[in-house]
Amino acid sequence: MDERHFRLPITDTLRRKSPFAGLLEHMNKVRECIDVLKEGLKEYYEGRFDRFSEVAKRVSELEHEADLIKGNIRAHLPRFILMPVDRGQFQWLLREQDAILDHAENLAEMLDMRHTKIPKELKDLFVEHMEKVMETVRAMEEAMERFKVLLETSFATKERDLVKEKIHEVHRKEWEADQIKYKLTREIYRIEKKLKPMDEYHLLKIADWVDDIADHAENVADLIRSMIAR
Amino acid sequence: MDPILLIILIGGGILGFYMAWNIGSNDVANSMATAVGAKAITFRQAVIIAGILNFVGAVFVGSHVTETIRGNIVNPSLIENTLHILLGFFSSLLAASIFVMLSTWKEMPISTTHSVIGALVGFGIIESGISSINWSKLGEVAMSWVLSPLVGAVLAFLVFRGIVKLIFERERPSESARVVGPGIIALTIILIVSSLLMKTNLGRMLNIDIRQAILIAIGCGIAGMILSMLLLRRIRLKGEDEYDAVERMFRKLQIVTSCYVAFSHGANDVANAIGPVAGIFSVATTGVLDPKAEVPVALLALGGLGIAIGCMTWGHKVMRTLGYRITSLTNTRGFSVDFGAATTVLIASKLGLPVSTSHTVVGAVVGVGLARGLDAVDLRVIRKIIVSWLLTVPSSAGLSAIIFLILRCMVG
Repeated sequence: MDERHFRLPITDTLRRKSPFAGLLEHMNKVRECIDVLKEGLKEYYEGRFDRFSEVAKRVSELEHEADLIKGNIRAHLPRFILMPVDRGQFQWLLREQDAILDHAENLAEMLDMRHTKIPKELKDLFVEHMEKVMETVRAMEEAMERFKVLLETSFATKERDLVKEKIHEVHRKEWEADQIKYKLTREIYRIEKKLKPMDEYHLLKIADWVDDIADHAENVADLIRSMIAR
Repeated sequence: MDPILLIILIGGGILGFYMAWNIGSNDVANSMATAVGAKAITFRQAVIIAGILNFVGAVFVGSHVTETIRGNIVNPSLIENTLHILLGFFSSLLAASIFVMLSTWKEMPISTTHSVIGALVGFGIIESGISSINWSKLGEVAMSWVLSPLVGAVLAFLVFRGIVKLIFERERPSESARVVGPGIIALTIILIVSSLLMKTNLGRMLNIDIRQAILIAIGCGIAGMILSMLLLRRIRLKGEDEYDAVERMFRKLQIVTSCYVAFSHGANDVANAIGPVAGIFSVATTGVLDPKAEVPVALLALGGLGIAIGCMTWGHKVMRTLGYRITSLTNTRGFSVDFGAATTVLIASKLGLPVSTSHTVVGAVVGVGLARGLDAVDLRVIRKIIVSWLLTVPSSAGLSAIIFLILRCMVG
């Protein structure tokens, strides 16, 4: 601030950056990452493994970028800060949102380590499952955007209801994703005689890893729910 | 005229002007911060609004607080030597100026008001002991320092909750804002106009009694309401978001509340610069310090002018910086802060209580934060402010006492 000096307690009071703006910035990284991953998984399920390494690299980059945003939000969130929501819950929410990226990165890396061909009869279920998981994340993103509007109106009732609606949608989609996963697992067991043991193991793991992403999206939604509780 | 008297008079005038300039360059920016930060006005507009309305507030409503600082803290009847009274006021001004300069350099959130009061207490104790201080008045003033941020917080909290309940909670927020916004503007104008006309020189000059003053104020309020309704009519819904439209309306309305803030600020803070000068002036011209004598309008105008010049020469740099530092404030929040702080400061001014505008603004911000209206309010500022309360008065009193002792030895 060169040699200009002044007394401005007001600027100390209103911190420059909103933690919620940071949270949305972090969410945009999640969105970008999920979009990349979705395209990548489609390629993988079709057996076009050559392009998947690129995807894994990009996912890892995005995860790192999001980590920097997360660190930045935490650094600007000291104690003695008055927020419209519980500070502890906010930190936890950020951690869960970041966990989505951690699991996305894990999934991409693990898939890239062993290229398993998806049996023809399972392909549709795998795609369906993956799409439902991505829809869960998408619904969570929408809940988050609605949550930001709720903050702008300082918790107006009708906006609270809209957020709650979105949270229900996340729960519903996550449940549906689970159901598809069970079906998928049953199918894998049904044709296990045809599968090599290592392939079968990897197929089961893929279903689990993809499903993890939806679980953390649901956790984010749950935390939003407890933040907006009266 | 005695040359020493002349030197004190001119020196006091210059120091008073310096204090006014300092208030204009620092404290004004603080009170206009929310309007600039919420982008209701540009920093250039803030400089113009603050310059003009601080002047108006200082000249027309500034006398109450000035009288308190001039004659109600130190009991002048206990000091026989009139030269000592003059030296005392002069030392107080000098001490307060130095202290304010230092704290600006260190960027401490101290208040010019507190340093002036501290300085007066310092000289009073040295000259004729602890009994010369009007402790009950001082207690009242100290009380107002604690109360003003609290009242600011409560008012801002209530205004913001009102906006949420009456606008955001409604089916069509933008339609509700068209009615509620002008309503608050009418209230603001009634408060400003009635404070201008009731128990002021202007009111006496125009021969207006309290009943007429209230009628005129209500008339102006209704006119303002109609004008602001017309102003809001031009704001149409762009796209889908109702809440953005509401914020855009409050961006317009905040122009009025930022005038309100500047006006109240001038009414209260001109006394810090002009109070001691008014003391010097009345002793120098009449030979006694009569706390009941009126403060000359010319002196208030000098202070108002100093504030306006401070605002235009240095304040614009400060305000430009503000615009960059505060970015997360929306107009409904800024409006609530402005209204809460300005109303508190204006009431204090009418009661003759010298309060800190900056601390009241901070209080109002915390109030909106408590109403869950702000993303992040750093509460550490509260600790800094309390420390400054405890530090400012003793250090400024000490400095003033030392200067007074030196001057008394030099002059006699």
